[in-house]
Parts: sequence; structure tokens; C-alpha cells
Amino acid sequence: MATINPGFATELKKYGALDFNKCYNCGNCTAVCSLSTGDNSFPREMIRFSVLGLEREIQKSTTPWLCYYCGECSATCPQQTDPGELMMSLRRYLTSKYDWTGLGAKLYTSKLWEFGTIAFLALVVLFLFVFFHGPMTNELTADGGVMLNTFAPWQQIEIGDLLMGGFLAFFLMSNIFNMYLKIIGSQKDLKIPFKLYFSEFWKLIVHFGTQREFSKCDTKLEQKKPALNTYWVVHWFLMSSYVIMFVMIVAFLGWFQTDNIYAWFHPQRILGYYATVGLTIGIVYFFVQRIKKSAQKSKHSHVTDWTFLVLLFLTTISGILVHVFRLNGMPQPTYYMYVFHLMALVPMLMIEVPFSKWSHLAYRPFAIYFNKIIVAAKKSK
Amino acid sequence: MTEKKEYDVLVLGGGISGSESALNLAKQGFKVILVEKDLSLGGKMIHLSKVFPTLDCSACITTPKVSETARHPNIDIYTFSEVRDIEKLNSGDFQVTLVQKPRYVTEDCTGCQLCEDKCPVVVNDQYQWDLVGRKAIYVPFSIANPRIAAIDIENCSLCGACEKVCPANSIDFSQVEMQTPIVVKTVIIAIGFNLFDPTLIPRYGFGKYKNVVTSMQMERQLVPTRPFNNVLRPKDGKMPDNIAYVLCAGSRDETVGNPICSQVCCMYSTKQAQLLMGALPMADVTVYYLHIRAFGKGFCEFYQQAKGMGVEFIKGKIGLITEKENGNLLLRYEDIESGNIKEAEHDLVVL
Repeated sequence: MATINPGFATELKKYGALDFNKCYNCGNCTAVCSLSTGDNSFPREMIRFSVLGLEREIQKSTTPWLCYYCGECSATCPQQTDPGELMMSLRRYLTSKYDWTGLGAKLYTSKLWEFGTIAFLALVVLFLFVFFHGPMTNELTADGGVMLNTFAPWQQIEIGDLLMGGFLAFFLMSNIFNMYLKIIGSQKDLKIPFKLYFSEFWKLIVHFGTQREFSKCDTKLEQKKPALNTYWVVHWFLMSSYVIMFVMIVAFLGWFQTDNIYAWFHPQRILGYYATVGLTIGIVYFFVQRIKKSAQKSKHSHVTDWTFLVLLFLTTISGILVHVFRLNGMPQPTYYMYVFHLMALVPMLMIEVPFSKWSHLAYRPFAIYFNKIIVAAKKSK
Repeated sequence: MTEKKEYDVLVLGGGISGSESALNLAKQGFKVILVEKDLSLGGKMIHLSKVFPTLDCSACITTPKVSETARHPNIDIYTFSEVRDIEKLNSGDFQVTLVQKPRYVTEDCTGCQLCEDKCPVVVNDQYQWDLVGRKAIYVPFSIANPRIAAIDIENCSLCGACEKVCPANSIDFSQVEMQTPIVVKTVIIAIGFNLFDPTLIPRYGFGKYKNVVTSMQMERQLVPTRPFNNVLRPKDGKMPDNIAYVLCAGSRDETVGNPICSQVCCMYSTKQAQLLMGALPMADVTVYYLHIRAFGKGFCEFYQQAKGMGVEFIKGKIGLITEKENGNLLLRYEDIESGNIKEAEHDLVVL
């Protein structure tokens, strides 16, 4: 039996939802959506669930993740209920519900928790450096670079890296498992053939790597073919940069954090520059979008959206400065900037990856994967 | 014309409500001035086919009323005129400036329409809602009152062909706008309504897709004085056999600044659907609605009657209309009953 939560609207407002109770169920939002299909009709279904407070139905559903927020529904909604922003806040809500620790919900709904945790983690990093840093030598390497690995030997940082990586992986994967239980585990009356998990698996990879659905978002339906979507291009550039950087610092730190100064065409520098450019362009673009508020999807920003962008910005800019200082043989600025870099990086990863906005990088492709499995299972029945 | 005119009542608008109020007051002995901005009395109603829910002939109600108004000795009628500056005087009366726009045709006109044959300029006929053309000099429509031609000076090429052919010598290019001060004791405002401009909803494609028409254009195709002798779709003149009605186009919609219900589009669409069943017996008619608001006496029965006649009613707002190569239209909507997104093909869409 369906259970309803009469206070759901109030709860969802903390996640950024607007007055969706004005909806009169005309279905305009679903009809103008370029991603809504016969198998997955949204967003009106989600508005109905939210109005009624059917929390279990919402948690069972993958559709909030199928929306990439072009904002067409919000722009044309006759009642101005802003379905696009509702879908966005449902994604925040679901992120906090997949997280079994409950920390996600705290971070989303309380600024005290959000900023408190960031400050706490930044201070932990600061203290670790204050007490355990290596000698802050002013000597330079043979080619004029700073001896960063004397101040912060990569072997030691790598230990912290791996500890953090393990922490992130454990929480993110357990959250994904929780998501699996909520979405597929709750399909009691649907028998899912085991082979579907394998036959649909490549879609997970494709959607993770290309965000193909995103590229179809916001295409004008009357044109019947996808147009190049700037938002998607920038987002893909940002995401690929992020992944490259993440892999380099977690798995190949010894190679990445070196005291050698390689030629500009060395892969280490090429990859680093690619990621830096991608991150910078992405951050600036999304900053401008959120400040200008001209696109429907940038009109409303939750505090966590800004936090993510600001932390990412601080990490990137301090990373660039570390690089510049090191190459130009400026030892003290390099060391201080390196500490600051980690003070922004660690909270960004620890908070955002398993508990907050960053996790959509995993939830979106998994939601599509689960959705394809369910749709295929329904079809085979 | 500098003398001051005095009346008991000024009625603004010569449509059905203006005529009715003018007539009722005149019958009680009041002196009435009726000011109509259009070329003819009758307003919107004289152009309609039938009224709901009784399906009485609309023009048969309006035309006798209009003629009676026109002939009544206590009513002075000014067509193609407007009022400016209504000011309250200390005595409680109103000082009004009456502005008579020039028609360039005097009242000697017999309505013979010889000038229309000779006029070389063709423009859209606003009284047929742009379905057909008219000349730059024209008698507004066949049952117009007064039945006097007028020159559409903005489109006129000033060739003078009408002047040569007019048997009554009634063409007068020297007319200018006239302003007359009048004093009235009371003012009745019966200015009617403006139709919603459907180009404000670009995703419905009105103006871009020719087979998307307004309900007024459909109404004109169903009246006895209709432009074609049949119901035809504008793009290729084909007889439509699968017609869609899109309700709430422009009402109950905050994005176009009309958050409230027009209270009329459910019922006139139901009426037109019934008339179409008679005009095109083989055609399918589908009405896409949000909520049927059949709120008046006999309205719900009228709606049930339409259903019984085979009109299909589907709950769901049309989100998007796209055109196919053959001029047919694809309507994308969410079928609210099933919750699924659907696309339906129709060969004529009425907003």
C-alpha cells in the first residue's frame, strides 16, 4: 500500500523545490520535454508523486536522473510551477536518500553542516601539514624547480590519497548499492532475467563516457535531430578533465607530483594542461551561467551548487599557482599554495563525491543502466 | 459641427450587448448615442454561426436587433468612430469628444459594390479572419449595417478607379477626421473582447503552419455567409477529415499573462465539433482539454450530446505542434488518463 508523507512539500523545499502544488496536471511539461518518451513519461509523474507525498514511489523511480534540465517545461508551464527545478531538487533529495549514513541529507538541508564539515576537513589538512611537513628548503633542483617532494614527499601524500580513495569508493559504492535496492530491489512483481545485467552493461559505460542523453537535451523537438548543445560540450569537457585529474592524483601521484620539469609535450604536462583548461573553462562558464540566470536551468541555484563550484574553483586556481610557482623556482609560495590546494581539494572530494552534488557522475549512468534493465525486463515479459 | 450635442446615454460598442442596451433605453424614451469603432454594427456575434447550447442561428438573432437599433428614432449611430477623453463635469454629466474617422465614402453609397470590381488592390479580409481577400474599397460584409463601402486608405493606391465607376458619386477623398464635443448623462461600456493572439505561443505554430487556424476562422467556415462553400483547410484546400481542437490555448496560462479561464472555449469548441459532425459527416473530431467547464444551463447536456455524436474528448494539454511535409500536423501531448506521452496526427488544428 502506498504511504503518503503530508509534509513532503515542506521537506522538498529545503532541497530547492518551488511551489509545485500549483500544478493542475495538464501534462504540458511532459509533452514539451525532448527526453520524455513512451517508456518514461516525465516530469508530470514526478510532480504528481511529490504533490501526494509518495516518497517510496519517488525513491523507486529513475526518472529524475533521466532529466538534464533544459528548462523547457519550466519556461512553458502554464501554472509556473517550475517542473524543471522540482526535478533538480528531487535529484538532490534522492542523493541524500541513497546515502545511508544520513550525512548527505544534513549537508543539503543545513548550511551549518555544509560549511562546518568543509571547515573541519580543511583544518584537519592544515594541522597534518603543520605537524608533519618536510623541510621547507629554499634549495632548487638542477633545472631550477622547487623541491616540492622534499616538503611533501609524494609517498606520504599517496598514503593519504589511497586512504581517501578507499573511503570515497566505499561510501560511493555502498550508496550505489543502496540505490540499486531502492530502484530494482523494490520491483517485487517484475522478474528481471539475470543476463540483462550484462547485456545492458555497455550502456552504463557509454552513458558515463559520453553523456549521450545530455546531448539530446534541449534540442528543439520540431527539428527532430540533435543540435550541438554548448552546455553538454562544456560539461563533457569539464567532466573528462575532472576524471583525468582525479585518476592522475589518486592512482599516479608519483608520476604526476614530480620535481622534474618535463618538456611541454610530455604526456604528464599535456594531460595536466588539458585538465586545467577543461576545468577552468567549465567553472567560468557555469559561474557566468549561474550569475547571468538567462538560461532556465541557471535561474535557481541551491547553496550546494555554489559550494561545489567555489571549491572546484579554489582547487583549480591553487593547483595552477602551485605549478607556476614550482616551475619558476619560488619555494615558499609553492609550499603555502600546496597546503591551500589540499585544503580545498580534500573537502571537495570528501563531501561532494559520495554525499553531494558530485555523486551524480555515478548516479546518472547507473540510473540509466537500471532504467534500461527495467524497461527491457518489462518488454520481455 | 461646433454645436454642442447632448444625449442621455452614450453606449460604447455596437455589438450585441451595446445594441441591446441602446435599444432598451431608447424604447423607454432616452436619447441614445451609439459609438462603434468598426465599420458596421453587430460586433463579433454577427459573424458567428450558431449559439450554444441551443444551436440557434447567431446572425438571425443579431441582424434584426441591429436593424431595429439602426432604425430607432431615439438612437444616433456613429460607426467607424471612437470617443476620446471622457471627463466628468460638475453637474455630474460627462463631457466626451467624439472622433469620427473618415471612410472616404459618403452616405449616398448604395452598396452596389461596382467599385469593388474595379479596385486593383487585394488585401486580407479581416471580416473573414484572413481566410480570403478583399479589395481596398469594400463593403465590410454582406449583412453589414450600414451597408456602405469604405476605403482602406492604408492599402489604397489612390488610382481613382472607384471614383470613376461609382453611380452614386459617393467617393470623397477629401474627408478628414472630425472631432465633436458631446455631453452625456451616463456612459455604458460594451466594448466586448479581443481575441487572443496565438502567435504568442510559438510552439503551436500559428502563422507558420497554415493548417493551424483559430476558432474564429473555423467559425467563419461554418456560417451561411462563409467564404468557401465548404470547410476547407487553408494550406491546400483539402477537405479535412481529422480535426483537432486545442483547448486552453492562451487561457489558464501564466506565461502569456492570462491565468484565468476564458469560460467560453470549452463550449464553443463543443458546439463547433457538433456542427462539424453535420458539415463533414465522415470527419473525426478530437478535442484536447484540461478540464471541461460546462458550467451553465444545459451546457453539460450539450457536452454529453457531443460525446454521443462521436466527438472524442482527450484529457491532456498539447505541448507542441509540428508540421509534416503533406501539411498534416503532429500533436505531442501527455495522455493524462494513462500518463503516457503520445503523438497524434491531424490534418487541421483549431486553437
